[in-house]
Amino acid sequence: MNDTTALDRRRFLKLTGTAVGAGALGFPTLIPSHVLGAPGQPSPNSQFVVAHIGVGGMGGTHVNNMLRFEQEGKVRIAAVCDCDDNRLEAAWGNTGQRAKPYRDYRYVLERKDIDCVLIATPDHWHAVQTVHACQSGKHVYVEKPASVTVREGQAMVKAARDNKVAVQVGAQARTAKGAWQTCRAIRNGIVGKVAKVTCWHYASPADDKPVPDSAPPEGFDWDLWLGPLPMRPYNRRYQPGTFRWLMESGGGQIRDRGAHQFSTILWCMNADSQTSFTVEATGTLPTQGLWDTAIDMRAVFQFKNPDWTLEWGQPGNKVGTTEFGNVFWGDQGHLVLEWEGGYRPANPEAIAFQLPPGGKEVYRTDEYEDFNMNHKADWFKSIREGHLRPAVDIEIAHRTATLCNLANLSLILGRKLVWDGDRQEVVGDQAANRMLSKPQRYPYCL
Amino acid sequence: MKTPQSLTAAVAATGILTARNSHADPVADLVAKIKSPDDTVRGPAWQGAASAGAAALTPLAGVMSDADLEVARAARRAVWVIVRHAGRPGAEGERKAVQVALVPLLRGQPAPVGKAVLWMLSEIGDAAAVAPMAALLSDVELREDARCALLRLPGPEVAEALRAAFKTAPEDFKVALAESLRQRGQAVPGYPSQKLVPVKPTSLSPKPGATKPGQ
Repeated sequence: MNDTTALDRRRFLKLTGTAVGAGALGFPTLIPSHVLGAPGQPSPNSQFVVAHIGVGGMGGTHVNNMLRFEQEGKVRIAAVCDCDDNRLEAAWGNTGQRAKPYRDYRYVLERKDIDCVLIATPDHWHAVQTVHACQSGKHVYVEKPASVTVREGQAMVKAARDNKVAVQVGAQARTAKGAWQTCRAIRNGIVGKVAKVTCWHYASPADDKPVPDSAPPEGFDWDLWLGPLPMRPYNRRYQPGTFRWLMESGGGQIRDRGAHQFSTILWCMNADSQTSFTVEATGTLPTQGLWDTAIDMRAVFQFKNPDWTLEWGQPGNKVGTTEFGNVFWGDQGHLVLEWEGGYRPANPEAIAFQLPPGGKEVYRTDEYEDFNMNHKADWFKSIREGHLRPAVDIEIAHRTATLCNLANLSLILGRKLVWDGDRQEVVGDQAANRMLSKPQRYPYCL
Repeated sequence: MKTPQSLTAAVAATGILTARNSHADPVADLVAKIKSPDDTVRGPAWQGAASAGAAALTPLAGVMSDADLEVARAARRAVWVIVRHAGRPGAEGERKAVQVALVPLLRGQPAPVGKAVLWMLSEIGDAAAVAPMAALLSDVELREDARCALLRLPGPEVAEALRAAFKTAPEDFKVALAESLRQRGQAVPGYPSQKLVPVKPTSLSPKPGATKPGQ
């Protein structure tokens, strides 16, 4: 039996009081009654017109997901966009050339017929394109991590709220069965009170064979790929995919996978509102080559009220059998979650867990077995139902990304940081606070 | 002919002299290690450069344009380590000394060095850094990095400098400066934001017989 069918998300949000009220960032999140079921809101039976910005890597998965939704009559793919002509042509072909191809995402945003955009560009683009899309009235699905700086994340939250659009961030575990089973088990005391959560993860690569700068490949728009980042000559080590090992873009494993693992952990610990913490990170940086993110790393976050510790480890203490995962250490035992609860099933104990008398159920959208599809279904649902708060709403994802970003900041500054979540600043560290933002190259700026 | 004992003593004496020289000039020692072709020497050198302080910045800046890309990169990273160490809480004297050493490096260096120094000053610079940074708003190669770096500095001096630059900037840069002034809460009539204006059409075109978009 599906335990969530009796509790749809709209009722769940009303019961928990999260549909209305001020967010922790101080931005009002009241949803006016005219927004719910307002003219222009897609009805349950109408199609969403969608567009893709960034169609390589995970972007290709999003295109395939939307093609399936299109077959089901739920969406129409109107546009695909990429700064790499090779990837663009492939995605365009994948849609049977029904979608219109674009190089410059702003052509997509100026189209009035497009309801929603899915953004899967490198991380340094996420904030600018999300904010611009929100300002253009589009609902957004954007890949994790939400942002590469704290101030970007704040701007994304503001843009979503100001423009009354739903922004879902691609930390799909929160709508996946494995993480959900783990979450309801942890929240209902399977290991008792949890005082510590540890993560293990394999090391990041270092570039042992750096290459000189060169001309960009044919059909690749280097200016558009760089976007907000300062201009510099092209180098083959920037992409594809290897942007993950640059602090200014991917931010290393802690911001890449950590965005998934921390999202699941915060959910399980019911700690989305615990926005203040301390963080101290140490690690080994590469000695040569373009890539500058930590090869191995340890970051310790301390939360108060309730008190608990989150520890990121590369390699960390590997308790499970897979390449990365998490352990919830309680006063009555511990529970392992392999990966982040998406691609892998939950621990058998969590699967078998029965809610105790008086236990609290945890909501999740449950429309597709495929958790990538399910996460997008959750996003569409938030739009149709009018509450505009999908499972990984931008405010939740901003808080997750803040953990990742501040851990990297602690590492490169070589000191412990005290984060005031209410004031959204590092206590007593002006230099660290300067680095909470990085002004973007014009015109690709917030 | 020297006896082995004399030779050994001579070598030992040379080593002692070398060590004394290293201790006497840690900056020279750091620079020498940064220039090493051996990454196992370069790497720890730049990662451990924090204590070298402001005195190392000018010599290291000279290495930031080395023909060996990894040597140049190591020098740049060493400077970053020094800058960020000096920016820590309670190190105001060090921060000021580093700022004083960085400012002259804004000029007379290759553009990549100037850009790096701008971003370094964006992290630790104070009001005294605004004017020298703003002077680069008229440098075609450095102006965009200067504009961005200035936005990180607090204080009214930044908006004043941006406004002054706006008066004489060429049209293609005025739009960027206008965006910065708006970020600082200032109105700029006649220069609306161009951020959402698309300018790069795709070169892809449908193959003959392909389904048209929307069909």
